[in-house]
Amino acid sequence: MGTETLTGFVSERLPELWLRTGEHLMLTGCSSGVAMLIGIPLGILLFRKTWLRNPAMGVIGILQTIPSLAMLAFLLALLHRIGALPAIIALTLYALLPIVRNTLTGLEGVSPQVMEAAKGIGMTEGQQLRMVRIPLAAPVIVAGIRTAAVVGVGIATLSAFIGAGGLGQFINRGLALSNTRLILFGAIPAALLALVIDFTIGAFEWGLRPERKRGSRGPVHAVVRSTARILPILVVLAGIFVYASGPYAQRWLTSFRAETAKIVIGTKNFTEQLILGELMAQVIEEQTDLTVKRRFNLGGTMICHGALVNGEIDLYAEYTGTGLTAILKTPPVSDPRKVLNHVRRAYGERFDASWLEPFGFNNTYAITVRSDDAEQHGWRTISDLESAAPRLRAGFTAEFSERQDGYPGLSRVYDLEFLEIRDLDPAIMYPAIVNGEVDVICAFATDGRIAAYGLMPLEDNRGFFPPYQAAPVVRVPCLAAHPEIEKALSLLGGMLDNAAMQRLNFEVDGEGMRPADVARKFLEDKVKNRRPHQRKHPAKSSGGGGHWPVLSGSPCIETPAPGRTST
Amino acid sequence: MTQVSKSFDKGRSYVIKDLSLNIQQGETLVLLGSSGCGKTTTLKMINRLIEPTAGTIEVDGRDIIKQDAVALRRRMGYVFQGIGLFPHMTVEQNVEVVPRLLGWPVKRRKARTDELLQLVGLPPQEFARRFPDELSGGQQQRVGVARALAADPDYLLMDEPFGALDALNRELLQQELLALKRELKKTIVFVTHDIFEALLLGDRILILHQGRLEQVGAKQEILSRPATPFVRNLFAGTARQLADVMGVT
Repeated sequence: MGTETLTGFVSERLPELWLRTGEHLMLTGCSSGVAMLIGIPLGILLFRKTWLRNPAMGVIGILQTIPSLAMLAFLLALLHRIGALPAIIALTLYALLPIVRNTLTGLEGVSPQVMEAAKGIGMTEGQQLRMVRIPLAAPVIVAGIRTAAVVGVGIATLSAFIGAGGLGQFINRGLALSNTRLILFGAIPAALLALVIDFTIGAFEWGLRPERKRGSRGPVHAVVRSTARILPILVVLAGIFVYASGPYAQRWLTSFRAETAKIVIGTKNFTEQLILGELMAQVIEEQTDLTVKRRFNLGGTMICHGALVNGEIDLYAEYTGTGLTAILKTPPVSDPRKVLNHVRRAYGERFDASWLEPFGFNNTYAITVRSDDAEQHGWRTISDLESAAPRLRAGFTAEFSERQDGYPGLSRVYDLEFLEIRDLDPAIMYPAIVNGEVDVICAFATDGRIAAYGLMPLEDNRGFFPPYQAAPVVRVPCLAAHPEIEKALSLLGGMLDNAAMQRLNFEVDGEGMRPADVARKFLEDKVKNRRPHQRKHPAKSSGGGGHWPVLSGSPCIETPAPGRTST
Repeated sequence: MTQVSKSFDKGRSYVIKDLSLNIQQGETLVLLGSSGCGKTTTLKMINRLIEPTAGTIEVDGRDIIKQDAVALRRRMGYVFQGIGLFPHMTVEQNVEVVPRLLGWPVKRRKARTDELLQLVGLPPQEFARRFPDELSGGQQQRVGVARALAADPDYLLMDEPFGALDALNRELLQQELLALKRELKKTIVFVTHDIFEALLLGDRILILHQGRLEQVGAKQEILSRPATPFVRNLFAGTARQLADVMGVT
């Protein structure tokens, strides 16, 4: 990020770092704690019930092999909610294996001679376990907890994908914005946290170990040892403090706004969504008395949609074509009006959600190649690619590879058989084509990097891609409770054409500005240009110095609804 | 002990076959035999670490099968072959473990532990807080004896307690045990494969061979009137070895 100094970057984000660290500790702590409460008794049970051992260890082992993201997605579908709960459950399941296995191994590893002595002097079964076997197995059990907790810190970064917060949020955001500094801002504290936890449990184990060398006993030594023994408690207390105080630190960051009703805005995990999320958030913050909670970067379409339907977010920006095909599972239609009307009706009936006025641009998928390749081979349309396809490597987002309005449908309408198709993260797709690692990508028509990286979107000459007009989708109950939202958001209606959206996207992706700043600048510019027309609600002007004042009530640009925009 | 047998393979072979014997109150009975003759098995059957396949064992006139195994074991001090101290407990904690199981108050436990450590020659102020792996083999076995004596049991079962020690330490501990025996007047069952140890410590000696009783009796009786060829050869062989060694020097 060239536009910010390092100290500015860090100091501005410190309160959020505090908040995210607290969330991260909470996720790791709760899951490790629950895994201990389940895992140690389970390990003891398996030790005593030999016949249960293989089936149970098999199940726990299989849980471990499920990729973390798949596990999160599965729990999301199962619980119908985003946030901390599914994340903690997933982390607990992962923590279970090392704890159960080490408990079992530790108990089994106690010398049979010692156990015979325990029995022979007259200990009951329970006493043998409690007084001899468990204490002797303890170092191995603690080592299992240590492994579980350290691995847990790492996996917890992924739970940001389902809106559970934590340090992964920085990483996520950094990935979405191609911002290395932001990625490191999440990754380095996460690594440090793992080291701290590893050290804490290690010190605890050392503190518990019986003293051997009588010579080294001194007052300082004794203090160090007793500190080591209570260190985990201190860390847990510190974690609880950080977690509990996080929201206050966060509030301090967002200044002391009067506490009113909160509107929760979600976004998917790419630049344009973040900018749209910021635009909507800032308009609502400026135009109404409502407070906005930003739950950005929720991942893909299904996660955002699920969160909206469950009422965990109140609104997000969706694309008409996506709603039509991915959510409603309707065959693609190419008339933008028809699509909008269809999703409006269907969302109202099925999801109790309302499509407001589209922003104006059409972010359709664009099959995109490098400009020099296109020039060399004379490619202009997707059809032109058909003969060359068997020699080309494609890089598509995972969503595109799956969706009916993505590659599966595309390859029916066009005769495209690529040499290889790789699933790429949206943030990685562009560098991959620029570096020549893939030859074809599924760009988004409004992506600023198309122009900036010398790429060329091919014309959809058979009209396959449905229109993807972006518009705010809001829960109807939320609209009913706060009708002012609709009015505020209508200010954004039709304000952004493809070129404008490309520019905003590039300001983030190419120039390294923050989505919040890009959105603010855009709104301020619009206001400047519109000054003469906007005297309708002068009384509502609440924006202080530097903020943009009220926009005009109805936008003068009518949604153009162009067919397909190829840039 | 009447007609006691033990098989570990459902009757195909017997480790102990039809063993009957009577242990007198206050005597030291040594079970003597080579490895695998069944002497440790016999000892473990007395406190039910191993259950007999057939036959009955009575302690204080009551069948042990009808007694609570845990309570029975607590009434018998046991010194294990491999010492078997608890590595995570200090010397003191090891010694007081049975009194603790019996629920003695802390003060009484402490006094008893100190007394016993004194008795086995480990001054408590120096040794009480050490861990077993900080002690020599001989010291560990002294702790083992102290632990077996802690709850003042009427019976003491000792399974080759000095087997792993060097000759000097072994002799020292044997002498100490003799002194203890005179002082404490316990009924002791002592397992060994060492003929000299048997002759030194035993009031009576019981010779086992391949799971069968060869002879039981006071040492003079066994030496003067060996009941079987095996017993005669056992002692004659040892005497010959001894004579050879003497002859050489």
